[in-house]
Amino acid sequence: MMKMMKRQQRVAGSRAQRGTALLIAIFALLLISVVAIALIVSSGTDSALANNYRTSTSAYYAALAGLEEARGRLLPANPNYLPLPASPLSLSQVVYIINPTGGQVIAPNNTANPATYPDNEYAREFGVDVATLNVTINASVSPVAGLPPASYKWVRINAVTEQSMGDPQVPGSGVDVNADNIVDGVTPLFYDPANAPTPGLITTLAPPATASQALEITSYAVLPNGSQSMLQYVVRPLVVFPGLSSQTFPAALTLEGNNVVYEGPGTNSFFIRGQDQCGAGPAMLPAIGYTNGSASDSSKSNISGGATPAANYLGSSIPSSPPPPPPAATGSIVNVGGVMNPNWLTPSGLEAVVQDITNSADVVLTGPTTPSSFPSGMSASHPMTIVVNGDLDMNSWRNTGFGLLLVTGTLKYDPDASWQGLILVIGQGNFLSTKSGNGQISGAVLIAQTRDLAGNPLATLGTASFRQTGPGNNLGQGINYNSCLVQSAMGPIAYKILSFRQINQTN
Amino acid sequence: MPHTRGFTILELMIAMAIFTLICGAMFGLLQLSQQKYSSETQLSGAFQETRLAIDQIVRDFNVSGYPAVSMFSKVPTDSSQYVLSPVAWDPNYPATSCLVGTAGSGTCQTPGDFDLIVETDLGNGVSWVRYQLIGTTLYRSVVGKTATGDPVNSTSTAAVRVPFLTNVMNNVMNTPSAGLLTQINATYPSMFPGGAPQPIFKYTCNTSAGPKPCPLAGSDGLPGNIRDVDINLIVMTRQPDAQTQVLKLVELDGRGHRLNPSQ
Repeated sequence: MMKMMKRQQRVAGSRAQRGTALLIAIFALLLISVVAIALIVSSGTDSALANNYRTSTSAYYAALAGLEEARGRLLPANPNYLPLPASPLSLSQVVYIINPTGGQVIAPNNTANPATYPDNEYAREFGVDVATLNVTINASVSPVAGLPPASYKWVRINAVTEQSMGDPQVPGSGVDVNADNIVDGVTPLFYDPANAPTPGLITTLAPPATASQALEITSYAVLPNGSQSMLQYVVRPLVVFPGLSSQTFPAALTLEGNNVVYEGPGTNSFFIRGQDQCGAGPAMLPAIGYTNGSASDSSKSNISGGATPAANYLGSSIPSSPPPPPPAATGSIVNVGGVMNPNWLTPSGLEAVVQDITNSADVVLTGPTTPSSFPSGMSASHPMTIVVNGDLDMNSWRNTGFGLLLVTGTLKYDPDASWQGLILVIGQGNFLSTKSGNGQISGAVLIAQTRDLAGNPLATLGTASFRQTGPGNNLGQGINYNSCLVQSAMGPIAYKILSFRQINQTN
Repeated sequence: MPHTRGFTILELMIAMAIFTLICGAMFGLLQLSQQKYSSETQLSGAFQETRLAIDQIVRDFNVSGYPAVSMFSKVPTDSSQYVLSPVAWDPNYPATSCLVGTAGSGTCQTPGDFDLIVETDLGNGVSWVRYQLIGTTLYRSVVGKTATGDPVNSTSTAAVRVPFLTNVMNNVMNTPSAGLLTQINATYPSMFPGGAPQPIFKYTCNTSAGPKPCPLAGSDGLPGNIRDVDINLIVMTRQPDAQTQVLKLVELDGRGHRLNPSQ
């Protein structure tokens, strides 16, 4: 009996201790959990840090992508050209490009609805609610199959004023471009490359013929996690022209500099005509223009000596002629220095022009090269800007080129080839032809020497040279001024960035 | 009174020994993880500070040169209304420009390997934003541009000079903490080739033949032609690794690209 009781008690005792296993297990679990949580917390902080940095950078580049889409689509040569509703744009006209992804609704001009990415920045810059204006909305062309969509929401293109370039948070701030101590908020800005004393932005309601409107491009990007960025460009169209009072070239062939050299073929079929060959063009330019008219300079006598027969050099007898055009004079060789933008009359100014064109060219070739390196797809409806940094040898090229051709070395022209548009030979300033053919240049040609033979910049313009001396009588048909072809080659070949800034977001 | 059999002393001692062993291992592990955690926190803290610094420098440099002189059709007489050069220089600002060099070459005191003054409008008018490494601290100072002021003098007063990033080791060999270099070289043998200082700022200039490193750009190597700046920051954590006492460094690179025109 006693034995039995003892056994029962022992069983009961070991049963009472059974719960301790649970406690120990819980304690051990707790310890492991603490360690695990610590690890999780530490790695969590790490990825948050990386994420934070990545999104701020992504938002910046997304907004930049929007700016570049708009800047590219303003160009007529762009396949997705975005024509503006008016030229110039008035302050009441605003163009948007919107980029909705995944069924989003984006309505920047609906400033009352915070869910559809309203453009409140416009009101801060111009003091007018954009909802009350004449708004044009276009779709973005940025989505590319197979790529994640860009995260910008909208891009705005509009006219720009002195005040709109200021800090929206600071009343009265702006960029006083004409230094008149008034920050103008109602007059649009134009860029005038021929402005005196310096080329720049002018405030005007009646822009001169040489000016083109500056545009403001503002891009707004919001990432899915809420990171945002707003960037702004002020751009101006880059139009290549040396005219002082209009967007034109001074002559069919312009030889800039001192003691310039001209040697024509002297054949009956070779003409240089300043008469406009484009439709109803009223313009009449000199056949050959030079820029140094001083008595001690031999430019005029050199050209007159080489331009024979004089009857083949037809055009105006004065630098620029207002319509109606005078009857074409023969032996049209005129000093055009006075109607040219002074920046086009100095080596440094011309080098800047070369730099501008080079930066905006469709293709930049390093010479010596031949037209076999020209890009394909050049046509009358798709003129191109081609820069040859060095010599270009057109020998045996029997095609027609379209657009703007800039050669910094020697241009060896073959009259088998034709060109429709502009040919600029700026640098060595040497145009040379020793071949025969039936081609012609329609448009305009300008030659200037800004560098010596070693390639060092000159202090003053050197001796531009045009020589076309081949064998026989069939030496090309010459140069015919054509305002339409010149216009399309002049561009705008690019929209140049005048300013870039990041706009702080406080809304 | 029922008799209960207790544990023998041997049982208890064995149980306690096992318990102590397990606990010891557990706490050892915990301490190790604690040390690791604190080292990692330090390292990620240094990473974060460096990233923020690079981000700020890049953003300041990206918008440098606003508004450019080329926008004005009549340049204001008050030069504080526009930007003369996206990067201000010393000596002889604004009269004569200098040549940007590296490792003490060139004629510019600033911009230099450890000194950069960005000229731009961050809102509220044109400012000089200066980043300058003094000892192992990178300072940032922002002052409004004035027509008669000097970008170096006006950004050098203690009142405007804000410590921006500490423990920057790029030029450690020329500071009182030069002794750390041996330890750094032991852990990171390729960080300071030849024991030479590593420039924080390296500049790329626009030239007529395309962009080139400013020291190789000849007469185009001017502060006004700087288009890109490469930023390299080597930052040490506040304390060495808690476990191994080895110095921990992070090295980050960034690049700022100016979009505003040169002048």
